Amino acid sequence: MRTIAASIAARVPRFLREPRSLLIAVPYFWLFLFFAIPFLIVLKISFAEAQIAMPPFSSILEWTGEKLSINLNLGNFQFLFEDELYYTAYLNSIRIAFNATLLCLLIGYPMAYVIARMPPSRRNVFLMLVILPSWTSFLIRIYAWIGILKNEGLLNETLKTLGLIDAPLHILHTEAALYIGIVYAYLPFMVLPLYSNLVKLDPRLLEAATDLGARPWQAFLQVTLPLSRAGMLAGSMLVFIPAVGEFVIPELLGGAGTLMIGKVLWQEFFNNRDWPVASAVAIVMLLLLTIPIMLFHHYQARELEAR
Amino acid sequence: MGQDTQTRDSGATARTPDDRVEDARVENYLQVLGISKDFDNFRAVNEASFSIRKGEIFALLGASGCGKSTLLRVLAGFEVPTAGSIVLDGQDIAGLPPHRRPINMMFQSYALFPHMSVEKNIAFGLKQDGMARAEIADRVAGLLKLVRMTEYARRKPHQLSGGQQQRVALARSLAKGPKLLLLDEPMGALDRKLRGEMQLEVVDIIERLGVTCVMVTHDQDEAMTMAGRIAVMDQGRICQIGEPGDIYEQPASRFTAEFIGSVNILDGRIAEDYPDYVVIAGDALETPIYVGHGVTGFAEMSCAVAIRPEKMKLSHDEPAQKYNKARGIIQDIAYFGSHSTYYVRLPSGFVMRTILLNAQRWAAEEFTWNDDVWISWGDNSGVVLTS
Repeated sequence: MRTIAASIAARVPRFLREPRSLLIAVPYFWLFLFFAIPFLIVLKISFAEAQIAMPPFSSILEWTGEKLSINLNLGNFQFLFEDELYYTAYLNSIRIAFNATLLCLLIGYPMAYVIARMPPSRRNVFLMLVILPSWTSFLIRIYAWIGILKNEGLLNETLKTLGLIDAPLHILHTEAALYIGIVYAYLPFMVLPLYSNLVKLDPRLLEAATDLGARPWQAFLQVTLPLSRAGMLAGSMLVFIPAVGEFVIPELLGGAGTLMIGKVLWQEFFNNRDWPVASAVAIVMLLLLTIPIMLFHHYQARELEAR
Repeated sequence: MGQDTQTRDSGATARTPDDRVEDARVENYLQVLGISKDFDNFRAVNEASFSIRKGEIFALLGASGCGKSTLLRVLAGFEVPTAGSIVLDGQDIAGLPPHRRPINMMFQSYALFPHMSVEKNIAFGLKQDGMARAEIADRVAGLLKLVRMTEYARRKPHQLSGGQQQRVALARSLAKGPKLLLLDEPMGALDRKLRGEMQLEVVDIIERLGVTCVMVTHDQDEAMTMAGRIAVMDQGRICQIGEPGDIYEQPASRFTAEFIGSVNILDGRIAEDYPDYVVIAGDALETPIYVGHGVTGFAEMSCAVAIRPEKMKLSHDEPAQKYNKARGIIQDIAYFGSHSTYYVRLPSGFVMRTILLNAQRWAAEEFTWNDDVWISWGDNSGVVLTS
């Protein structure tokens, strides 16, 4: 009897026997449904050919008589490498996202540091202030920047009233406005992981450093900074990755000259109605972004190992 | 030890005023004068004063919250004292920030830099001084050898056991050759068995280098094992300073007597007051207590007598002596392997603790629960406490 029961039990998949693995399966299921499936659909479309039809692309699998033929069209990818537009747009996106990430780091680090050093009762107030703007619609907040930055906007009028400038500063629709927008929108994503890292830093390590003769700034450079690397990486990823594919901010605040990949994607989809090329653009962007993500994972695994 | 003979030897030859200045410097190497520290309306340290000989290991002993750690942090420079001054080797250091004091600290649970290897941790202090790289490597190699951690030089702290981490922490705090070494609960993070070994090893290293050391601990065994002198602290004050034996045998106050070891405290008043002995009458005992030393007091003054449990004798027959005895019933026995504690209830209701070594138990009389017994002690066993 027992052997039969055991063999039946052995046949039940292991994840059903252990309720804990069911719990672990939930995020995997989520990823499968909302990442893997859409990704496979986009991947499929990227290998199709554009058609004027519904849907606007050819099917990859064809059943002709007794033959199943798979038609993979690599032309979309080839096209991306041939046309300089895409190359420039990718490079621009990465450059702008990189610079914006650096700016976020430079502004966000002191913010996170100061908040983490505050007495606990005041920390929450300031963290709230960092998060609070996110409660308003993203689109509205970016629109508001138009009102601030435009030639007869709040900033220029204020500076004029103060007598600091005679002619308005052209900020809107320049790269400067683009950076202001990205840094403004993504700063909380830099501050929060940095804060949660810095707040865990054992103050006795800094005491130990000063006790051994380090001046406060030397202690910062040799202890605080290297120990907050995980927080800096996490924050940078959270800013860099969405910034590369950013569409709304360059569209509303950026100039005509700054071409980012998000805008190219939009144009392919909605202006050219070339879904396969648009999909190929998206796939290449994803592949480009996996490099920093994998680097991040590598460092994080090492960091965890060191605990 | 070495210091004592040296002083005696030089005393035999002709002494110059310079020698005397030098002696004073050795004798009062660290002087802590009236240090107080207030935290919003709370006085953590209250006018603490002591001075330490060069090469001495000095312990601040007390329960948690007694101010010992605050006092140590004042010495390290992490806390600015509200009042008082600190003179180390003739230099007033109270105004110096921690990174400019010739003092290094071994932190409680070590505070090793988790992102640096063992050798980088030890080299950290030397690097801040801008020492040449080759010289740093030499010093670090020497320290690694001293604490027997040479094979672990490239490990990260999280790859080490508690005892190994402590050795690294000790090496790091000794690296710069500090004039004063501070140890904050040095064995706090170790398990009981390892603690005993490390206590002796740490003392051995410190004494070999001749470093002057102030340690903080709540563990009286640790203080007694490691320190040459102990300051017992309570509520921010130093109650008593002395060698371990003095503090145990001659507690100056009720607090010290109760804090160090176990003790029977009998309240009473001075019945007869003579220069070389006193007789104290109390409610707990039927006969008065005779103590073979004089006290600064007056007749009828209320006081207490402290008697250590191991100084008492237990017998079935009434002892011949006139004083210092009591009859009672064995209420409880606690067995500790090497010794047993007997709780004897006296007719007054007072429960007296006595200790018998278990080696004696087989040789002498046997005692068990509910036995009628006599307790007795010698003239010099009791200590009169007037505060």
